Amino acid sequence: MKKIVPQTCLVAANKQLDAAGLYYSLTIADFKTPRPISPGQFVHIKVADGGEVYFRRAFSIADYDPRTGALEIIYKILGRGTARLGDKKKGDRLDIIGPLGNRFSKIPKKSNVVMVAGGVGFPPLYFYAKYLIQSGHDSRQISFFYGGRTRNDLVELSRIKKLGVRFFPCTDDGSFGFKGFVTKAVAEAMGEMNPHHTSVCGCGPEPMLAALQDLALKSGFDGELSLEAPMPCGVGVCLGCIKPTIANPREYVRVCHDGPVFKLGEVAL
Amino acid sequence: MKPNLQIEIGGVTFKNPIMVASGTFGYGEEFEQLIDLDALGGIVTKSITLKERPGHPPPRTYETASGMLNAIGLANVGVERFIDEKLPFLKKLKTAIIVNVAGSAVAEYVEVCRQLDLAGDFDMIELNVSCPNVDKGGMEFGTDAAAMIRVLQAVREVTSRPIIAKLSPNVTSIVEMARAAKEGGAVAVSMINTLVGMAIDVQTWKPGLSNITGGLSGPAIKPVAVAMVYKVARNVDIPIIGIGGISTWMDAVEFHLAGALGLQVGTANFIDPDASMKIIKGTAAYLAARKLGTIHDIVGKVKTDK
Repeated sequence: MKKIVPQTCLVAANKQLDAAGLYYSLTIADFKTPRPISPGQFVHIKVADGGEVYFRRAFSIADYDPRTGALEIIYKILGRGTARLGDKKKGDRLDIIGPLGNRFSKIPKKSNVVMVAGGVGFPPLYFYAKYLIQSGHDSRQISFFYGGRTRNDLVELSRIKKLGVRFFPCTDDGSFGFKGFVTKAVAEAMGEMNPHHTSVCGCGPEPMLAALQDLALKSGFDGELSLEAPMPCGVGVCLGCIKPTIANPREYVRVCHDGPVFKLGEVAL
Repeated sequence: MKPNLQIEIGGVTFKNPIMVASGTFGYGEEFEQLIDLDALGGIVTKSITLKERPGHPPPRTYETASGMLNAIGLANVGVERFIDEKLPFLKKLKTAIIVNVAGSAVAEYVEVCRQLDLAGDFDMIELNVSCPNVDKGGMEFGTDAAAMIRVLQAVREVTSRPIIAKLSPNVTSIVEMARAAKEGGAVAVSMINTLVGMAIDVQTWKPGLSNITGGLSGPAIKPVAVAMVYKVARNVDIPIIGIGGISTWMDAVEFHLAGALGLQVGTANFIDPDASMKIIKGTAAYLAARKLGTIHDIVGKVKTDK
């Protein structure tokens, strides 16, 4: 198998997605992937050359076109690392390692899928929804819940709608869509779903994922969560990005290497 | 002419001076998908203790300027599982295998080394007498010369493997500790382990690490390590394996000039998984460009004459 080595990639676009300038979409034109890329996996990017930003930063893959090699990440400027990434311009070079980590599962075609995205957790779920539809899933079997604090925190709405999924935008302040936490909207909708034919997948802030995991487990749903953690190495050796398991709070999983996608009920959040 | 990068330490031949440092390479398996492991001079495993250890709760790592703080807490599978599950993979590789051993008492070091010795195929033991992150993690053996001699002598009775003593920089005189390592029968010293450090989040007022303090590594500590290697090289007649922020072939050459024969690449593995590969090639090119035949032509050759 081909080795996953760092490669220098040309930035094709780094586009602001919201009015406030917090959310960006960065595209690499021809990512020469050493392995097939699947939804849920991430790339590890050297966003700066040392100094204050020493570690690489991990970003889930938001879209990938195997024919052209176009690879997209969508990120929110949250700290010094993402701020440096926000400065990148078309034509700049970025050192990227990937794809790393595991993937969201393949799901039987007749299964319903409930995707629950919080804030900048939506990119891997967008990629997953697109992948399922391309693999023959009926888009109307996918319910896509997308929550943010305000209208500004919901980006790429037209792209998600274009997938043809059942779309449920939510905002904490009610400035767009359902008013309240996205998990509240999911809880209200779950009453009409059959847990045996429905898979629940989530990605977002940890309190949201904790609430979603509790809700889904109590209601008898199976599914997967994609987690996030600062990752010094991204390949499973530094043991920095660990989370305790539900089975044993003194046993840890590595988000980068055992995940980032974990089965519902596996990780204590 | 192609330079010969081969070195020998304690009777073990290394195809080149570049090893990967303990705790930055797991047990080797994860890196197989990233680099050609057989091209390395050697692999130093994660510290092995008698019993399996989960390590400290998160957060265990923290980014600092040109460096990282860590307090993993010697998380490892324990010696039995290491021998059963991890050593078979390492044995198959065509590179020197150095098993790093940690303990909280002389008896633990001895028992781990005894079991390893019986298990067979590996080349050397590196004794971690310098972990700054556990209450009892051998640090006392790394900061007290008499204790260092005691643990080395005890371990030598149960293993025929050559032993490297990994030295802590958190001491008054690292030269004195290197002398103790030699007296205890170590064939080499590897230096330096991490420097004790701490970071505090100014928003939450909480320490960056659950253990409060941790070990600082990465380019931030390189000048400290170079100075310590230089001092030990000048004062103690023992082979030195240089560690501390080595990220490029220029860093490697600098450590050789200061007096290091072998080298370990540590935190750089996280930032550039192929850093060790680039360093091996870069060092060979450097020697070739200067028409130098071997690593020995630069070891300890820093010009300090006024």
